[in-house]
Amino acid sequence: MTVLSSGEFWAFVGVMAGIYTLFTLGLQIQFGLAGLLNFGQVAFMAVGAYTMAILVVKQGWSMWLAAPLGVAAAALAGLLVGLPALRLRGDYFAIVTIAFSEIVRWVATNEDGLTGGSQGTINLRGEGVAAQYNSQWERFQGWLGEQLGIRSKDVVMLLVVWSVALLLTWLAGRLARTPWGRVLRGIREDEDAVSSLGKPVFRYRLQALVLGAALAGLAGLFYAWQFSFFSPDDFQPLITFFGWMILILGGVGRMWAVPVGALLFGFLFAATRFFDFPPFSYLDSADRAYVRLLVIGLLIIGLVLVRPQGLLGRRQEMVLE
Amino acid sequence: MSALLEVSGVSKAFGGVRAVDDASLSVEEGSITALIGPNGAGKSTLFNCISGFLRPDRGQIALAGRRIERLPPHAIVHAGLARTFQTARALTRLTVLDNVRLAAPSHPGECLRNLIARRGAVRRREAQVTEEAFRLLRLVRLEDYADALAGTLSGGQRKLLDLARILIASPRLILLDEPMAGVNPALREELLAHVLDLRATRGITFLVIEHDLAFVMRASDHVFVMAEGRVLTEGTPEEVRRDERVIDAYLGTDV
Ligand SMILES: Nc1ncnc2c1ncn2[C@@H]1O[C@H](COP(=O)(O)OP(=O)(O)OP(=O)(O)O)[C@@H](O)[C@H]1O
Ligand SMILES: [Mg+2]
Repeated sequence: MTVLSSGEFWAFVGVMAGIYTLFTLGLQIQFGLAGLLNFGQVAFMAVGAYTMAILVVKQGWSMWLAAPLGVAAAALAGLLVGLPALRLRGDYFAIVTIAFSEIVRWVATNEDGLTGGSQGTINLRGEGVAAQYNSQWERFQGWLGEQLGIRSKDVVMLLVVWSVALLLTWLAGRLARTPWGRVLRGIREDEDAVSSLGKPVFRYRLQALVLGAALAGLAGLFYAWQFSFFSPDDFQPLITFFGWMILILGGVGRMWAVPVGALLFGFLFAATRFFDFPPFSYLDSADRAYVRLLVIGLLIIGLVLVRPQGLLGRRQEMVLE
Repeated sequence: MSALLEVSGVSKAFGGVRAVDDASLSVEEGSITALIGPNGAGKSTLFNCISGFLRPDRGQIALAGRRIERLPPHAIVHAGLARTFQTARALTRLTVLDNVRLAAPSHPGECLRNLIARRGAVRRREAQVTEEAFRLLRLVRLEDYADALAGTLSGGQRKLLDLARILIASPRLILLDEPMAGVNPALREELLAHVLDLRATRGITFLVIEHDLAFVMRASDHVFVMAEGRVLTEGTPEEVRRDERVIDAYLGTDV
C-alpha cells in the first residue's frame, strides 16, 4: 500500500483526471449542449497527438508550432467527419463516429511510414532509431518548475494540465450561456423546432462537433507529453467510453460537472488498482484488470441508480418530456 | 389584394402513398385562410412542403413572388414565413423565456465570432430581445412562467408559447397546424382573439389547418378543402359548408 501514500502516484491520477476533463469537455459541448452522440471522440485525440509528434520528429518543427497544429488537425478531422455524417440521423451519426475512430486507429497501426505503426511513436524514424518528440516539453516543464520552485515534474504537469482544464471549463460554461449556446441547447431538445425558428441547425452542430474535436486534440497533446511515447493501442474505443462515463457521473449539460466527474472517475480507477486482497488476489494481473473495470462499472450503475442526473445534474430535467 | 402564398401543382409521395397529389392553393395577403379535410388528407404534409421540411416531388411554391420550394426551413423563415406544428414543440429543458429569445432573428450573439469581436452589440441585442420576449409572453399571459422550464407547461400553454415565439421574428405569413387541438374552450377563445388581433394590428396573414369548424366559420375569410392529397374545393366558409362534395368527403353530416 506504499503507492497510495506516494505524492507521485496521486499527481499522476490528477494529471489523468485533468486530461480526461479536456477530453470529456468536448463530449459535453457535443452532447450536453448540442445532443450529438459522438462515440469516436478518441479518434480526435489520436489525430491531435500524432500530428504533433509527426511534425516534431519528421519535419523537425518546434513543438510550440506543432502543438497548435495538432489541435487544428483534430478540429479539421471533426469538420471532415461532420460534413457528411451530421446530415444523418442521430443514431447513424453515432455509428459513423465509432467507425471513424476505428479507422483512425487502424491507419495509425498500419501506416508504419507515417505513424511508426503498431510499435508507436518510438518507431517514427523507422527501425533502430528511437524517435523522441518530447524534449522541448520536458525542457519547458523543467524551466517552469524552477520558476515555481517545484522540483517534481509530475506536480508541474498537474498544475499545467489543470490550469488549462479549469480555464477551458470556465470558458465552456460561459459559452453555454450565450445566445449561441442557447441555440445549441434548443437543437438538443428538438432540431426541427429550432430550424422552424430560422436557425441553420446543421451549421451549429458542425461547430459543436469541431469545438469538441479540438478539445480532444488538446487532450491528446497532454497525453503525449505525459507519457513521452504512445502507440495506436492508447486510442482504444474504451477511452471514449471512459469519457462518457465521466459525463454521466458528473451530469449531462453542466460544464463544471466534467472536472468533478473526471476526478471521481480517476479516483475510482486509482482506488480499484489496489485490489490485492482476497478474493482479488487469487486472480492473475490481467484478470484483475478486467475485474477492476467490472467493479467500476458496478459502482457507476449504483451511482446512476441513486442519482440519475449525475453529481451536478438537475433532477427535474430528467423527467420532462 | 394579391396572393402572398402561391402553391401550384405540388405533389409529395411517401413510397406508394400519394400524401399530396397535385395540390394548388393561394393565400391572399392579409387573409385568414383555413385548410380543412379529413385525417390523412395531406394537410400537414403540404405544410411541411411549404415550410421547407419536405422537398416536394413536383410543383412550385412562391412566397410574395419568390420561389421557396427548394430553400431549407431556416431560409424560408427569413423570407417571412413562420409555422407551428400539429403537436406543440416546446424546447422542454429550456426556460419559457429562452424558448422565445431563441427565436429572435438576426442576433449577433448566435455567431461564435461575435461573442468575442462584438460583445457590446451582443449585449445590446440580448437586452432588446429579452424585453421583446417579455412583451410577447405578457401577450399570451405566460410571463409568470418565464423562468420555468418549458417542459412544465401544459399542452395548451405550449401552443401559446409556440405562437409567442414565432411572433418575435415578425413574420408576414403564419402557418398554424391545428392550433385549437387539445386546448380548453377558454384558451381557444383567447387564441382566436390573438389571431384576429394579429391580423388587424400587424397585418399578419394566416393559413390555418383546423378541425374545429367553429373556428373556421368564425375566423376565416377563405377555405380550402383537401381530401386524399388533392384540393377538393375552395370558397368562403359559407360556400364550403353547403358544398355537397365537402359534406360527403369530410363532414359526413350537415354542419
Ligand atoms: N413522413 C411520412 N412518411 C410516410 N407517410 C407519411 C409521412 N407523413 C405523412 N404520411 C402519410 O401521408 C398521408 C397524409 O398525412 P398528413 O399528416 O399530411 O395528413 P393530415 O391531413 O395532416 O391529417 P390529420 O388531420 O390527421 O393531421 C397519411 O396517409 C400519412 O400516413
Ligand atoms: Mg395533420
